[in-house]
Amino acid sequence: MIKHLFKLIWNKKKENFLLISEILISFLVIFAVFSSITYNYLNYREPAGFKYDDVWMADLGSPVQGENKDSVMLVFANLKNALKGMPKVRDVSLSSNNVPFSSSMMGSGVEYGHVNIQSDMYRVDKDFAKVLQMKMQSGRWFNETDRNPVYLPVVLNAAAAMALTGSANAVGKLVKMEHQTLRVIGVADNLKDKSDFKTTSPGIYTLIDTSSIRGINTMLIKVSANADARFEDQMYRLIAGTTRAHNLQVAHLSEMRTKKNKEIIVPMVILLIISGFLIFNVALGLFGVLWYNISKRRSEIGLRRALGATAAGVSGQLLGEALVLATFSLIIGSFFAVQFPLLHVYDLPAGVYMIALLLSVLFIYLLVIVCALYPGKQAAAIHPAVALHED
Amino acid sequence: MIQLNNIEKVYRTDTIETQALNNISLHVQKGEFLSIMGPSGCGKSTLLNLMGLLDVPSKGDILIDQQVTQNMADTKMARFRNSRIGFIFQSYHLINDLQVLDNVELPLLYRKSTAKERRELATEALVKVGLGNRIKHFPTQLSGGQRQRVAIARAIVGRPQIILADEPTGNLDSAMGDEIMNILLDLNKTDGTTIVMVTHDANMAERTHRLVRLFDGSQVQ
Amino acid sequence: MLKNYFKIAIAVLKRRKFFTFISLFGISFTLTILIVLTAFVDHLFSPSYPDPNRDRELFVNRIRLEASKKNGMSMSPLSFYFFDHYVAALKTPSKIAVYTNGEMSNGYKDNRKIVVELKYTNQVFWDVYQFQFLEGKPFTGGQLENRDKVVVISAATRAKYFGEEAQALGKYIEANNTQYRVVGVVKPVPFLNNFCYADLYLPYTLVQDNLKDQSLQGRFCATIQVSSSRDLPALKKEFAGMISKLPRSDESYDLIYCYPDEYLEVLTRGLLGQGKDKSTGKAFLIFGSFLLLFMLLPTINLVNINLSRIMERSSEIGVRKAFGASARTLTYQFIVENLILTLFGGLLGLIFSLVVLHVLNASDLSPNMELKINPVVLFYSLLACLVFGLLSGVYPAWRMSKINVVTALKANN
Repeated sequence: MIKHLFKLIWNKKKENFLLISEILISFLVIFAVFSSITYNYLNYREPAGFKYDDVWMADLGSPVQGENKDSVMLVFANLKNALKGMPKVRDVSLSSNNVPFSSSMMGSGVEYGHVNIQSDMYRVDKDFAKVLQMKMQSGRWFNETDRNPVYLPVVLNAAAAMALTGSANAVGKLVKMEHQTLRVIGVADNLKDKSDFKTTSPGIYTLIDTSSIRGINTMLIKVSANADARFEDQMYRLIAGTTRAHNLQVAHLSEMRTKKNKEIIVPMVILLIISGFLIFNVALGLFGVLWYNISKRRSEIGLRRALGATAAGVSGQLLGEALVLATFSLIIGSFFAVQFPLLHVYDLPAGVYMIALLLSVLFIYLLVIVCALYPGKQAAAIHPAVALHED
Repeated sequence: MIQLNNIEKVYRTDTIETQALNNISLHVQKGEFLSIMGPSGCGKSTLLNLMGLLDVPSKGDILIDQQVTQNMADTKMARFRNSRIGFIFQSYHLINDLQVLDNVELPLLYRKSTAKERRELATEALVKVGLGNRIKHFPTQLSGGQRQRVAIARAIVGRPQIILADEPTGNLDSAMGDEIMNILLDLNKTDGTTIVMVTHDANMAERTHRLVRLFDGSQVQ
Repeated sequence: MLKNYFKIAIAVLKRRKFFTFISLFGISFTLTILIVLTAFVDHLFSPSYPDPNRDRELFVNRIRLEASKKNGMSMSPLSFYFFDHYVAALKTPSKIAVYTNGEMSNGYKDNRKIVVELKYTNQVFWDVYQFQFLEGKPFTGGQLENRDKVVVISAATRAKYFGEEAQALGKYIEANNTQYRVVGVVKPVPFLNNFCYADLYLPYTLVQDNLKDQSLQGRFCATIQVSSSRDLPALKKEFAGMISKLPRSDESYDLIYCYPDEYLEVLTRGLLGQGKDKSTGKAFLIFGSFLLLFMLLPTINLVNINLSRIMERSSEIGVRKAFGASARTLTYQFIVENLILTLFGGLLGLIFSLVVLHVLNASDLSPNMELKINPVVLFYSLLACLVFGLLSGVYPAWRMSKINVVTALKANN
C-alpha cells in the first residue's frame, strides 16, 4: 500500500512540487524554531549554582581614586567594614565588574600542560562565595591563609576543571595564566551567571590583591530580606561618601537577571509569534490545497469505492498520501538540517539539533495529519454512484 | 465558408499514438446547417474543435472564409475566433459567478466596445432566445434548457458567421431539445448563420440541410 | 475591461470564501510584519527629533587599538583630549558635539529608588541636537566653565522626581549623591537614539576624570556637523589623515581604527564590523536574506492557492479562450485579479499594523519609541504589496495561459 502511495505521488511529482517545497520550507522554519527553543530550554533547566536573591551590586562607575595601591586597598577595606557594620548587611565582596547578570565580560587564556582554553576571569575576594552562596565540588574557596603563598591560588568552575584536566581532580594542579603560574585550590559548581538561558562556560576565580585593586570598582552585597529603599538610600550615601564615586549605581541582581532574561525572551517571543502565524498560514494553505485536490479526484475516489474500498480505507489512503508527500519534504529537509551539526554552523551541541529534528518531524506530521483529516473524511463520504455519474 | 482539406489528427502520448481523424475533406457552404453523427470516440468533437480553431490538425489545412488558419499567432487566432465563430457546448459552460447578462457579454469584452453597446447587444441576444426577463439571474438559478439558451445567446451576441454546436441537446429532455433546435433553425434561416452541429440524435440531424457520418476517424457518408 | 476584471475578481473571491480567507490572511499578515519592520527601521534611521540634520552629521563613538605583535586589542570610547586637541583642529567640521555615553546612577526620593541615565555634554551639544525645551534652557558656557552643578532633565525624569505636570525649573534633583539644580526640561528623545538619549544632561566639566589626560581612550563620543552633506567625504578624508598621524608605539599599540561614520555605518560598524569594517553591505545582505526567507513561505503558499484557484476555473478559462480571449489577455486578467486581492490584503495589513504599532508604542519595550506610518513607510509597504502580488500571480497566470482549451472544456465543472 505504501509503495502504491509513493508511486501515486511520484507520478504526480510536477503537480506536487510546490506542495513539497512548501512543507520543506515550513519544516526548516520549524527546525530553526525548535533548535533555539530546545537550546534555551536545556540551558534554563541547568541549576543556577548560586543564589541571587537579596544580593545587590554597587558599581562605582570608575576606579576609586587614591594616592597608591595600598591606599586604595585601605579605602575598600574601610568601606567593607563600614558596610558590614550596617544592620541589614550580611556579607560584602569586592568583584571585577563582570558580576552575575551584568553585560561585562572579561576573559583570558588558561593553560594546563598542552591544554589551552579560553576562560572567563573573575577577580573576587574571599567573601564572594559566601555572598552568592556558591557550592564547592572539591577543594576549598579562598581564605585568610592565602595571603602570601608560593603560587597564587585560583578556584576553577567545574566547566574549566573539566576542560583543563578532564576527569582527573584539578585541585593541587598548577595552571598558567598571563605568564603566571597558579595553583588550583578548589573547584566550584558552575555559575549560570550570564542569564537563565545562557550555558555555563569555563571560569576562573582569582583573589584581588594590590596588583589588581586599581581596576576594581564593583561590589556585591548580600542584604537581609527586609532591606528596603530607605536602607538602600543610606547605604548609597555611605558608599558614595567613602569612595567619592563618580557615577555610583546600586542595582539588585534579581532585577538585572530579569533584564538579562528579557534579552533572550523578547526575541524568542517575537520569533514564536511570527513563525506561529507563518505555520498557521501554511496549515490553512495546505488544508485548502488538499481539499481542492480531493474534490478534483471525486471520480477516482468514487471508482475506488465502487471497486470495494471502505470509507475508512479511502480517508486512510488520502491521509497516507499527504503523509507520503510530507515524508518527501522531510527527507530533503533532514538532509539540510543534519548539515548544521555536521558543519558546526552555530556553536550548539549536536544533541540540541537531534532533539529539534525529532520534534520538527513530529510537528510536521501532526500538522499534515490535522490538515488532511477533514478533507479525507469528506472524501470518504463521497457516494460512488454520484461520483461516477458526474464524469 | 469552412473548408477542410485532407485533415489528419493524431494524439500522441509517450507510448501510444491514436489516430482521431483520418484524411477528412469537407466543405461547409455559407448559410448551410450541417450535422455530424457517429458513435462515441469517432472523432466528431475533434473535428468540431479543429473547425473552431481550438485545436490544430496534425496534417492538412483548414480555410475559414477563404483564410488559411495554419500558423496563426495566438492573439490573431483569438481575434479570429472572437469575430467569426460562436460556440455552444453540451454542458453549457456558463460562468456560474457571473449573471446571465455578464455571461452573454463575454465575447464582446474581447473586442472594442463600450459598456452600453455590450449591454444592448447582450439584451437583444437574450430577447432573441426568449430570456429577456432573466438577465439578472445567475446560471445556477436556471433550468438546463434555459442555460443552453443563455449559451446560444452568448454564441450569437458577437454576430458570428459560424456557430459550432457540440451536442447542444445532449443534456436536455426532448421537449427542451426541440426548443433549442428551433432556435438554431431560426438563426440559420433568418440570419443566414452557418451552423455545424455534432449530435447523437437522428431526429435532430434529419432537420438539418446535410448530414456527415464519421466512423473511427473517417468520413463514411 | 478593468471594471469587468474587478467584477469577476470580486465574484470569484466571494465564491471561494475559504481560499479568499487564506489568501487574505497570508497577505495581510505578511504585510503587517513588513510594515511594522519598515516603521521600525524608519524610526531607527530617518532623521527625527532631536536630530533633524542627520544627513550632514558624522558620528565618532569608538576607537580600536591593536597591538599586532602581542595579539592584543582594546576598544572603547575616546578621551576628551582626543576631541579637544585633534578633532577640534580639523578644518571641515562646523560644529562638534562632545558627550559621554549614557552612564547609570541612582537617586532616592521619598524612599523610592530612581534609576537614571546620565550624559555629560559640551555646550555645542545643544546646538547640534535641536532639543525642544519645555522649561528653561541649556546650561550656559559660564556655568560649564565654573563647574556649576546644573542639569537639564527630560520630561520623563521630571515626572519621576516631581510628579506629572509639575514645574522643575530651579528645583534641585538628587542623583549620584549630589544635588543638581534644574536649568532646563526637554521633551524626551527615543531610547534607541543612543547618541542623545539620557535622563539627566550634565556639563562635561563635572566628569571627575582628568580631562587633560593625553591617552586616546576615554569615555567620550562626538557628533560632528558640517555645513552641507557635500562636505562629508572631505571630513572623512581629513579625519583619516589626522588618525594616520597619531602617535603610536609597538609596545602598547601600533594599529588605530577610528572613523567618523554616518548614522547607519556607525551602527553596523559596531554590531558587525567589530569597530573595524564598515559592514553596511553585510548588514543589507543579512537584512535582505531575512526578508526574502520570510516572504518565501507566504509567497509559495499563495502561489499554491492561486494555482488551485485557477485549476478549479479551468472550464471558465476554456470558455474565455473559445470566445476569443488570447493567452496574454487572460494572463493580464489573472494578474490584475491577484493584484486586487493583494491590495485588499494590503489594506487589511495596514489596519493590523496600525493596531500593532499602537500596542508597541504603548508598551515600554523601548522608552519614547514612536513608530508611525509616514508616507515613506506607506510607499514601501505599497511597493511590497505590489511585488508580493506580482510574485505570487505570475507563475499561476503563466500556467493558466498554457491551459489547453479542449481539455479544459472536456472537464466538467
